[in-house]
Amino acid sequence: MSGLDKLIHEPARLQILSILSGVGVADFNFLCSTLSLTKGNLSSHMDKLEKAGFVVVKKTTVGKVSHTEFSITALGREALAEYWQNLDAIRNIQIEDTQTSTPPVLDE
Amino acid sequence: MVEGRSHPPLQPGDPRLIMRWAQRYAKSRTISFLVQWVFIVLMLSGIGLMTAIAQMAQQTGNGALFNTIVFLMGFSIVLLVWFSISPWGGEVIWRITQWLYGKEGYVASEDDQGPSSWWVNVSFGGLIIYHVVLGLLISFEKLPVDSLHFWSALYMVPFLMIMIVYQHLGFWAWIWPVCYGLHAAGAYLGYIPMIQGQWQLANSIIPALGYGFVAMVAGHLYSRFALYKLRSLARASMPANPDASDDDEGGA
Repeated sequence: MSGLDKLIHEPARLQILSILSGVGVADFNFLCSTLSLTKGNLSSHMDKLEKAGFVVVKKTTVGKVSHTEFSITALGREALAEYWQNLDAIRNIQIEDTQTSTPPVLDE
Repeated sequence: MVEGRSHPPLQPGDPRLIMRWAQRYAKSRTISFLVQWVFIVLMLSGIGLMTAIAQMAQQTGNGALFNTIVFLMGFSIVLLVWFSISPWGGEVIWRITQWLYGKEGYVASEDDQGPSSWWVNVSFGGLIIYHVVLGLLISFEKLPVDSLHFWSALYMVPFLMIMIVYQHLGFWAWIWPVCYGLHAAGAYLGYIPMIQGQWQLANSIIPALGYGFVAMVAGHLYSRFALYKLRSLARASMPANPDASDDDEGGA
């Protein structure tokens, strides 16, 4: 089992990738309002995810309004699936440890 | 893929629920449904109106008016088919979406991406042509006007069902074809009272309009609930000050 991907483990980025894996495309406004992130914070997270190849950015201009859309890449889906697998494995180990550990016997 | 469509059971608080509710929200936004609904309502209303005028023209022996109406029916086929497949039609839909959902942002489900398959356009074009032919048959008094709902349902019910499965729409979308089909069967078997006289066409238009509208309202209400759940889950699993949170690679 490899460790958890630090880039994905950060709460905001995990949520961004979770949302993008559930939908085809989400725009900047949707992610900002749903996750209560500021524009600067979201831009920073998206920049990191884009550099890692986990998301693709599509910028368009309709009239005078610019529009930025994000979608998850195949690599991003793969990394997220691996992250969940590793997290589940860690949880299972914790559960097994809790179940197998015998309570201390107290002398009467 | 762990977070696939199979939906394994998840514990409350699992961040993967965010993905599920995002998916449900995206599939419950009723805009694509609204466009189909508006098309069908316009089509049935237009055909109904033209059929009524054509019948009147034939009864009064007004050949010029009758030919004009038949020409208009043909023109409306071309217009509706063009709108449904042209990039301009797509842009209109996108602008409506932005206008209605501007504050909460734009989301499209994976199934909404890319151009429609050829068979979708063909079956949609078929729907229009089929109804225009029905209108013409009623105009020529080859079909009783009361049977329009029944014959309409024979095409529209399977068409809507296929579209719902193809677009992976939510449970709410089934309200339209199921109720429209049951209503048509009930009317055909005589269990549902029919409007008589000059408003006979309402027997077809009201169910098409009404059940589609009910389905859209149900979908819209479900999308509000899905968005509420999504935001609640996101806020519950986010640190108190998200702007201050970042990893060891540097702050935002």
